[in-house]
Amino acid sequence: MRHLLNYLVTRILLTIPMIFIMLTLIFVVLRVMPGDPVSAMLGGHAPQQVIDEQKAKLGLNKPIAAQYVDYLGHLIHLDLGDSMIFNEKVSSPILDKLPATIELTLFGLLASLGIGIPLGAYAARRRRTGRDYGIRVYANVVYCIPVFWMGLLLQLVFGVFLGWFPISGRTGPRVDISSFTWSGFYIIDTLRAGDMAVFGDVLWHLVLPALTLGIVLSGIFVRLTRANMLDVLKGDYILAARARGIPERRVVYNHGLRNALIPIVTMLGLQFSLLLAGAILTESTFSWPGMGRLLLERIYLRDYPVIQGVIIVYTLFVSFVSLLVDLLYAAIDPRVKY
Amino acid sequence: MKKLSVVVLSVLAAGVLLFVVACGGTKSVTTLVYGTTDKVTKMDPADAYDIHTWEIFQNISAGLLMYTPGTATIVPGLATAYTVNATGDVYTFTLRKGVKFSNGDAFNAQAVKWSIDRVIKLNGDPAALVTQYVKSVDVVDDNTVRFNLKGPVSYFPALVATPTYFPMDPKVYPADKIVQDVNELTGGEIVALGPYRLTSFKRDEQAVFEANPKYWGKEPNIKKIIIRYFADATTMRLALEKGEVDLTFKSMLPSDIKDLSANANLTTYPIPGQQIRYLCFETSQSVFKNKILRQAVAALVNRPEINQKVFLGQNAPLYSMIPAGMSYHTEDFKTVFGDANVAAAEKLLTGLGYSKSKPFKFDLWYTPSHYGDTEVNMAEVLKAELETTPLIKVTLKNAEWATYKKQWDQKQMPVFLLGWYPDYVDPDDYTSPFAQTEGSKGMGIYFSDKAWDDLFLKEQGATDDASRNATFAQIQKMWTDDVPTVPIYQGNLYVFSKKNVTGVNIGATLIFNYSELKFTK
Amino acid sequence: MSTQPEPKNVKAARFSPAAGAASFFRWLSSSRKKYGGEWWIMIAGIVVIVLILTMTVFPQVFTRYSPTDQNAGGQMTPPSRDHIMGTDNLSRDVWARVVYGAQTILGVAMAAALLSAIIGIPLGLLSGFAGGVFDRILSLVMDSMYSFPGLILAIAFAAMLGPGVINITLAVAVVYIPTYFRLVRGQTLSIKEEVYVEAARAIGARRGTILTRYIFPNVIATVVVILSLNIADAIMTEASLSYIGLGLPAGIPDWGMDLSMGKKFLPSGIWWMITFPGLMIMLLALGFTMLGEGLAEILNPRLLEK
Repeated sequence: MRHLLNYLVTRILLTIPMIFIMLTLIFVVLRVMPGDPVSAMLGGHAPQQVIDEQKAKLGLNKPIAAQYVDYLGHLIHLDLGDSMIFNEKVSSPILDKLPATIELTLFGLLASLGIGIPLGAYAARRRRTGRDYGIRVYANVVYCIPVFWMGLLLQLVFGVFLGWFPISGRTGPRVDISSFTWSGFYIIDTLRAGDMAVFGDVLWHLVLPALTLGIVLSGIFVRLTRANMLDVLKGDYILAARARGIPERRVVYNHGLRNALIPIVTMLGLQFSLLLAGAILTESTFSWPGMGRLLLERIYLRDYPVIQGVIIVYTLFVSFVSLLVDLLYAAIDPRVKY
Repeated sequence: MKKLSVVVLSVLAAGVLLFVVACGGTKSVTTLVYGTTDKVTKMDPADAYDIHTWEIFQNISAGLLMYTPGTATIVPGLATAYTVNATGDVYTFTLRKGVKFSNGDAFNAQAVKWSIDRVIKLNGDPAALVTQYVKSVDVVDDNTVRFNLKGPVSYFPALVATPTYFPMDPKVYPADKIVQDVNELTGGEIVALGPYRLTSFKRDEQAVFEANPKYWGKEPNIKKIIIRYFADATTMRLALEKGEVDLTFKSMLPSDIKDLSANANLTTYPIPGQQIRYLCFETSQSVFKNKILRQAVAALVNRPEINQKVFLGQNAPLYSMIPAGMSYHTEDFKTVFGDANVAAAEKLLTGLGYSKSKPFKFDLWYTPSHYGDTEVNMAEVLKAELETTPLIKVTLKNAEWATYKKQWDQKQMPVFLLGWYPDYVDPDDYTSPFAQTEGSKGMGIYFSDKAWDDLFLKEQGATDDASRNATFAQIQKMWTDDVPTVPIYQGNLYVFSKKNVTGVNIGATLIFNYSELKFTK
Repeated sequence: MSTQPEPKNVKAARFSPAAGAASFFRWLSSSRKKYGGEWWIMIAGIVVIVLILTMTVFPQVFTRYSPTDQNAGGQMTPPSRDHIMGTDNLSRDVWARVVYGAQTILGVAMAAALLSAIIGIPLGLLSGFAGGVFDRILSLVMDSMYSFPGLILAIAFAAMLGPGVINITLAVAVVYIPTYFRLVRGQTLSIKEEVYVEAARAIGARRGTILTRYIFPNVIATVVVILSLNIADAIMTEASLSYIGLGLPAGIPDWGMDLSMGKKFLPSGIWWMITFPGLMIMLLALGFTMLGEGLAEILNPRLLEK
């Protein structure tokens, strides 16, 4: 346990400089760019004096170094600033849309694991057969399918032609979302409100977006699971299990798979970045009201504080998840030394 | 692992089953769900200047004067009567007694004056509708209010009926700043005087309206209306076809309009076009400050092609800023330029020294979503049309609506696409906002010519038809010479609804009164 | 005068590029015998790439229509003999837009990958070789960038720079610099300890010489593999950027943009506007992936862990 605590501390200490560097990078990218956001925002109505006032208000007239210090100072207080376009704090739309993205990402992850792992295990078991090759082809091809194209195809087939699933939004148009919204995680909110019809509706709306992410990212898990399984199945304890007369299926799935899963946990952390990226494209295709769409909308509106805020939140998210995954890995695998 | 997949699958299956079962009991049929792809700009009559936000205010609030639904006839609203003085520049309104705001506050002349003063002070987008005409407002007594105008205006009653003139509750709206969202108001709700109250608003997601029990007029048929904001027309179309929304208004894609019009389960309401689309030039300092170049561009536009390619023939080519069907409309652009008049354009361009090796280059701007998804297609077709002559090279550029507006203020767009819905039903509304000095600045055209201004003042003050006809004939003719804008097409709007929805009564004013809607059963 | 016919490759050996090509082919055929499946995968990838490259360089061979011709045929007609992929909503030939779109996407992706390599490789070499504080800091920066979702980085850059071919190339290039950096640095670190490098130092070779003559050539093999996989990734990133509207201005044929245009017409049953551009993106990305992975297996099976 003490080892774990040590590791935890070390790991967190390592994360901090990484976050710091990313935040600095974000600052650099967003400030050192062409165009003056303030005059773009105020337009021709405003005389120079008003432009200068607004700049002062946003702190854009100070030297870059001072702006940087301000920026960091605000961040430490968890203050992301105010939107330039709407009368709201940057954190407001972000907190509003974050649950939508988390829900989508989570279900996308579940889908990719749910498709990838069983397929990978099965391919390992049926090694070198036609089915194995077929699954491996699937895994390689699927990674090259653009996420948004997958989404469009699913929409076309299951939404338009077959009409089985909705192709946009988190709920249907007839649902009054103000009647149950509490945390923003509709799965939780609808259960809490006891509204089972809407709960079902929310799940229904999650199917195609989650599948879109899930299918495209499943390829990696297929390959990983298969590779790990093949390694694991060579192990002595597997031989021992077989010798004891345990049925092959249990050998493969219970003994083999469990151990093969450990490296997958690390992969989860790395794949999370891909998931987030894919989520932006999925949100765009399915008109999903999440952070990805928020980012795109505010880019069009040139709302720089919100753009910056969203990217910062993504950074923190990625760092947090990767930290979590590393800890999980350390906790699960007794062989990891720190 | 397998057990986990089984668990996950059963949860999903359970949810699906429940949904299917519970689907039987749908929402009560007294709520209408209305889908639109429009967006609300600012929830403040002092700054809102787009047809959708106006629509909301027209249903939750009221003006001193209003229109009989579906017509352009002006009738008493919050004012029961008005008188005009001999010179036509003082209007005195007698207000309706006993009217209360939806929160119980009394409605009186002070509220009217306060609201108008606020519009003037905040100088928002539509402020010109007031500031161009109104000098001051006086409270005569609690129920009488007097507007002192800068000069006689023949269509002043129509101006008074616009949401910019709507009285707001002084205790709710801040006097010194423009409100964007409902949650910025004191009390968190727009307190107003119309047949509906806005009980919930989540930007880009939904707006919920419920009948206003304190309304002084006729109670609406449908007590609850939910506007559902759709991010794109495709989803909205599918939702309509599946019956998830009862009605849609603005904006379906031409391909959707075509399919939906043929759908036997839906009712189609085409609303003949008082909506116009056109090209604007920045005439004061951009490359287009030479009117010859503007004429060249005007000559190259091929309206029937745009109409067919982009809109599948659903709109109508427009040859004057004043749309067909409105008084004094002429076809001057047709007679002077025609369509795709490459010869005329090339003559003008070579006259200025342009050639194949030295073409006239410029940026053509459009805004990709404010006018619907067809905008980029219209820009592409225009570019191809303008480049029919090798003497022109067009680069397409775009910006979202908010940025677009700021850019035309800052003279950053030499030529840009724009659209117009009428503020008030009068040919003046289709001409002076673009070419009269004050208005032209606000539209990014910056056109200013004393001769033009004199003509505008003349028709604004005139009350007899013949004189206005002559003035507008002259204005339209001059338009083909100075070309501050090039009219392209006039459009139809479409409302689609389920068969059990009636009462869609939208006339030339493009005002959509929700209180007229009714479910038939 | 020789009575025996000269073997082809001996004659060719007089000219270095030909000699290089000859030995390449020899190596290729010997590896075919060794590696079976992976070899065919690589060849398949090469075939696809060459095909699409030809499309880029000689579009007229593949289609007689222009991608911007708005009078190519009827409006939104399904695939037919005249228009094998149908026409779009502005009566442009879809196949023509696909063919010419290859120029755009391939151009941007390859330029971006090359740019990333040109920046990332020297940095990686220097960092791995020099070590010390410089290395620690640079590694930290690059690791942070690497762990960050690439698309978001690209979006941020594209948003700041604005539309345009050069800007989008820069935006995509930035994302992959850490990839090359990490790889090359890792390789440099391990090669640095090799005996022959130590020997070079012992005979007094200058640092620059060691880097360029000893370390860099050993890194090349991996770089080629990464380059290939990178181009595949860059293709997807470019398509994603134009799909969400942050890429190129309207008018330049682009697969991503055509996809976002075509999706509006799905409910009307017009499936050909999105199917083909999407398929092409997939094929092109697959081509480079297969090339890269095949190459990786052949050159050194344990090299990449993915």
